Amino acid sequence: MTEPVPRREPEADPQTEAAPESGSELDSEVAALRERWVGEAFDLSTFDIDGEKMVAWATAAGETDPRFIDPTHDDFQAHPNFTTHCLSGRVLPEDFPQIGGPRGIDGGKAVEIHQPIRAGDRLRASTTIADVYTKTGRSGTMIFIVQRMSFVNQRDEAVATVDWRMIRSP
Amino acid sequence: MILDLHTHSVRSDDGRAKVANYCQWIRKKELPLDGLVLTEHRQFDDESDYRDLEDTYGLLILKASEVETDYGHVLVFGVNEDLVNSFDFTRVDNQIHSVLDAAERCGAFAAPCHPGRKNVGLFAHYDRKSPVEGVHTVEVLNGGSIPGEDDLALAKAAEYGYRGFGGSDSHIVSRIGYCATEFDEDIADIDGLVSALYGGAFSAVSLREESTR
Repeated sequence: MTEPVPRREPEADPQTEAAPESGSELDSEVAALRERWVGEAFDLSTFDIDGEKMVAWATAAGETDPRFIDPTHDDFQAHPNFTTHCLSGRVLPEDFPQIGGPRGIDGGKAVEIHQPIRAGDRLRASTTIADVYTKTGRSGTMIFIVQRMSFVNQRDEAVATVDWRMIRSP
Repeated sequence: MILDLHTHSVRSDDGRAKVANYCQWIRKKELPLDGLVLTEHRQFDDESDYRDLEDTYGLLILKASEVETDYGHVLVFGVNEDLVNSFDFTRVDNQIHSVLDAAERCGAFAAPCHPGRKNVGLFAHYDRKSPVEGVHTVEVLNGGSIPGEDDLALAKAAEYGYRGFGGSDSHIVSRIGYCATEFDEDIADIDGLVSALYGGAFSAVSLREESTR
C-alpha cells in the first residue's frame, strides 16, 4: 500500500494564526473554485405546493395579508419567502473540494420573486453554485459559498430564485 | 424485498438526515422500502447501533461505506475489520483495483456508484482511461442524479455487461427511497446482502415520480 494522502486541511488555524491577507493563497484558491464551479448544476428537486402549508408558513411568519393566509382569496399565493424551506438534495456538489472547516454557518437567504406561487403548483428547482468569495471583517477573513436554487413551475415559468450563503472559516 | 442501498446520515460530512428521521419518513410516506443501507463517505461507522430503530419501525438498517478512488466513488458492502485494514477509507485517491481486490479478498462486495456522474462517476473516467477489470456491477439508478446521468449509466452498463442496482444517495430525509434495489429473496443481515449482490438476483427500481427524473 502506498503512503496515504491526507485530506486537505484548512490552511491556517484561526486560533493561532493571522487570517490570510488579500491576494493570499486563500484568495487564489477561492478564485480557482469560482472559476471551476460557478454555474455548475448539481441537483434537481421537485416540490408539490400545498395550500395548507402555504397558510401555515405565512401564519408562522406573522403575515396578516389575506393573499397569503386566506385560501379563498382571489389572489391566494405563497408567502414571498416560502421557498426558503425547500431544500436541495445536496448542499454542495459531490466533488466540491473541502475548503475551510467541515461545517459552515448559515449566512442567510435572499429570495427573488418572479411571479406568484399558487396552491397545487409543482415546482422544479435546479441548484447551482452561484458564487464563492471571501470577505474580511472584525472576525477576520471568512469564505462565502452561495448556493442558488432556481424554481420554475409546471409551465416552466420562473417563479423564484433563492440564494443561500454558507459561511466557513478558513 | 426492496432496500435503498445508498444513503447518508449526519455521520457523513455533507449529510443532514438522522437515521431515526429516515425511518419516520419511510413509514409516514408509506414508502415500499424494507430497509436501508447507510453508506457514509470515506469511513465505516463501526459504532452506531440501530437495532432499536429496526425494532421500532420494522426496517432493516445495514451499514456500508462509500469510498473514493481514481475511477470515482465506490460503495462497499460487507465491510469488516480485514477490509478496514486493507486500504485507507479516508483517502480520496484510492486505486480502484486495490478497493475491488480487497473487497473480494475480504468477503465484501464493491461496486461503483453514480457512474454516469461527471468527475466522480466511473464512466466519466472511461472516457479518458481504459475500462477497469473486475467491475461487474454498478449503481444504474441514483436518486441524486441530474437528468441524463442515469441514462448514461444504464446505457454504459448495458454496453459493458454490468449488472445494475439502485440507491437514493439521500443526504436529506425527503430524498430516501428515490431509487432502490429489489431482491428476489429476503435479506436479514449484511452477510445476506453481500450474498444476494454476488448472486445477482436483483434489479434497480425507481420510486420517483416521472417528473423528478
